[in-house]
Amino acid sequence: MSKSLILTLILVSLFLLVLTTIVLKKGRIPEKYALLWYAMALVILLVALIPNVFTWLSILLGFKVMSNLMIGIFIGLLLILVMALTIIISGQKKKTTLLIQEISILKSEMETIKKEIRK
Amino acid sequence: MKEAKVLLIIPAYNEEENILKAYETIENYNKKNKSRYDVIVINDGSTDKTSKICHENNIPIIDLVHNLGIGGAVQTGYKYAYYHDYDIAVQFDGDGQHDIRYVEKIITPILKKQADLVIGSRFVEKIDTFQTTFARRTGIKIVSCFMKFATKKKIYDTTSGFRACSKELIYDFSLSYPSEYPEPITTAEVLRKKYKVSEVAVEMKEREGGKSSIHTWKNAYYMANVCLALLAVKIRRYKRCPKV
Repeated sequence: MSKSLILTLILVSLFLLVLTTIVLKKGRIPEKYALLWYAMALVILLVALIPNVFTWLSILLGFKVMSNLMIGIFIGLLLILVMALTIIISGQKKKTTLLIQEISILKSEMETIKKEIRK
Repeated sequence: MKEAKVLLIIPAYNEEENILKAYETIENYNKKNKSRYDVIVINDGSTDKTSKICHENNIPIIDLVHNLGIGGAVQTGYKYAYYHDYDIAVQFDGDGQHDIRYVEKIITPILKKQADLVIGSRFVEKIDTFQTTFARRTGIKIVSCFMKFATKKKIYDTTSGFRACSKELIYDFSLSYPSEYPEPITTAEVLRKKYKVSEVAVEMKEREGGKSSIHTWKNAYYMANVCLALLAVKIRRYKRCPKV
């Protein structure tokens, strides 16, 4: 791996690290999701620091060029991230549905009671 | 035995043309037959006067504070039925498709404890006057095949929205109900939970006004979704909810 690529990867990793820390500091994401992003940054950093392992791995997995393996790894990580997001969103949807239903029933019951009191 | 409390759940989305007429038909039927079918309209965020009409005419209504789609709306009805201790809940369309005279027929198997879920079916005895299109009939047949595969039971009219369920299922539905394509999915789930499901023949009328929620161009997408959902039902594990 060329020196300039290693430098680029280190910079990308640092950028991700700083970005996550800023967002976390502002309280925009909870710690458990920040952890996911730190893990991403760490993986990139590992690739930059121990490129030999990845050269060996790309041969083992049948990638012709090492950069393809890296792109593959990133896509894989992103897929996992998207899957995690889908699961989180589905959970959120269940909760909002429940809230909408219960609030709506409550409002309707309130109105009925109000009407009866007025009588 | 004391008389069973029956609730008609009427999900409504922009049904200003039909809702009052539907309610009056039910009230007249109640008067004539000395039956006591309560009604709850679930207004799923209509943008027309559905809510206003209901409030002005003292029709019991729950206005959902945000649009939930058919599954979420109907489930609200089941929750209401559970909170108010109803024995039987009937899903009933407010657009004039369903005939109030058949309610007695579809709740009878539940009263006799022969079934937990009764589906008002358009196809079981061929007394159908409501001709659906060829594409739609084929679609319904394919869904029926998947249903057979997932549950080992033949259900002829899987998409019928005219259904009655027992108290136990009211509780079950109030806890979990699919948000999309609820009819075939819940039928399959109920069968997997080893409840008894039966179909009785009913006639359905053409829609009297308003717009149906199912469009032709959406049918292929609908089919793919329902079939996948039925396969998912097949591989999931199911347990009955604890008794009420």
